Amino acid sequence: MHGNRELRLPANRIIPSLLLRRGRLAKGVRFADYRDAGAPATICRAHSAQGADEILLLDIEASHDGRESDFGALEKVAAEIQVPLTFGGGMTNLDRIHRAIEAGADKVCLTTAALDRPDLIEEAAQVYGAQAVMVGIDVVRRDGDYKLYDHRTGWTVSKQLDDWVGEAVSRGAGEIRLCAVDREGTRQGLDTTLHDRVRARVNVPIILEGGVGDLDHVAAAMKAGADSIGLGTLLVFSDNNLVKVRRFLANEGLKVRS
Amino acid sequence: MKVTVVDYGAGNIGSVANALWRAGGEPVVTSDPDRVRSAERIVLPGVGAAGAAIKAIRAGGLDQALDSARKAGRPFMGICVGMQVLADELLEFGNHRGLGWVRGIVAAIDPGENKSVRVPHIGWSEIDLGAKRSSVLGSRDRYFYFCHSFRLVRDEGIAVATVAHGEPYTCAIEFDNVFACQFHPEKSQIAGQRLIERFLAWKP
Repeated sequence: MHGNRELRLPANRIIPSLLLRRGRLAKGVRFADYRDAGAPATICRAHSAQGADEILLLDIEASHDGRESDFGALEKVAAEIQVPLTFGGGMTNLDRIHRAIEAGADKVCLTTAALDRPDLIEEAAQVYGAQAVMVGIDVVRRDGDYKLYDHRTGWTVSKQLDDWVGEAVSRGAGEIRLCAVDREGTRQGLDTTLHDRVRARVNVPIILEGGVGDLDHVAAAMKAGADSIGLGTLLVFSDNNLVKVRRFLANEGLKVRS
Repeated sequence: MKVTVVDYGAGNIGSVANALWRAGGEPVVTSDPDRVRSAERIVLPGVGAAGAAIKAIRAGGLDQALDSARKAGRPFMGICVGMQVLADELLEFGNHRGLGWVRGIVAAIDPGENKSVRVPHIGWSEIDLGAKRSSVLGSRDRYFYFCHSFRLVRDEGIAVATVAHGEPYTCAIEFDNVFACQFHPEKSQIAGQRLIERFLAWKP
């Protein structure tokens, strides 16, 4: 046992993290080389039925191209699933956040939108509550340290990781999505050192993502204290599904929803 | 089964209506106090801050409509902030007077000494059934989805379930024709669907 059962903490979370592009799901490697990954509503319905603890849907074109987020796809997904749904991508102002919530999102994920205008975190938290505001943090390793990364430019950001994490939470972020960009789609395993670094700064839930290649990687990260894991590649391009994932983790003595 | 979903502008009306459909209900979403007053069965959803929610409920004249439906014995279900607003006092972003159906206050989750307790409380937690039996909450389903920073404390004898996240606190209450829960049945997959089915069949 790894403590959770005795402490009665929530179950570890497995969260399909799915990318939306041109009305379809897509999956790439390090934010490039995207391949088609199916119809959003159909795939999400399957994940919900197979026991996804939540679903994270990110429109990867909206902030890149400055275009409107795909609220139509969001609405179709929301109608098909019975678990919480977080939507991100192009959430640059309160009006768009409102439209996402109206279309069926339970939470929104602000990544570059929050970096560009940190006040937006406060504005959203005051209206929808901190629990509905997730801040996405993309991180790369450069020169032996972690740096914030802007996927629109492909460059690192001058703001420091530790400062930004603390600022995001004090402004009202109720949850952090932490993505190790170097590992994204590479199947090298999760970066629990990065998780520990952010965990030392804040007490809100953290979803760790990037690098899961097999089920041992998920179990190892959970045993190292990362209780919520985002899964992309593993669910998209392998024969794994969430029923198998949960059974594997339960056999490893990890607390998952039953 | 017709069920009236009260829309006061706070949140996930769509999710709640979808879940009611799946459970075999016919949701009618309204912000009209007269329709709430004459509703056969009522769901009061809610996400966000309880203080803002109670203000919106009063501004829409929905507080009196809810009171009169409750007194007429119509089955009522409050979800998350829709449970919190039933209390006397709400301590979220200031001090607000709630509907006062429940003797209690709504205050921030106290993570206590344990460094592993996260706030907000987000995720699937196992609930403990109370001594008082519930008609709406089944005995078989234990995992439900929570997403909140505040919770109800000091309720008297109406708890039907508690959850241990930091200090244990009440996560579902039931009395007369009123059921309310802090977790989200509309987001709790099949466990939530079964709860909603029982609420739709409830004849208090």
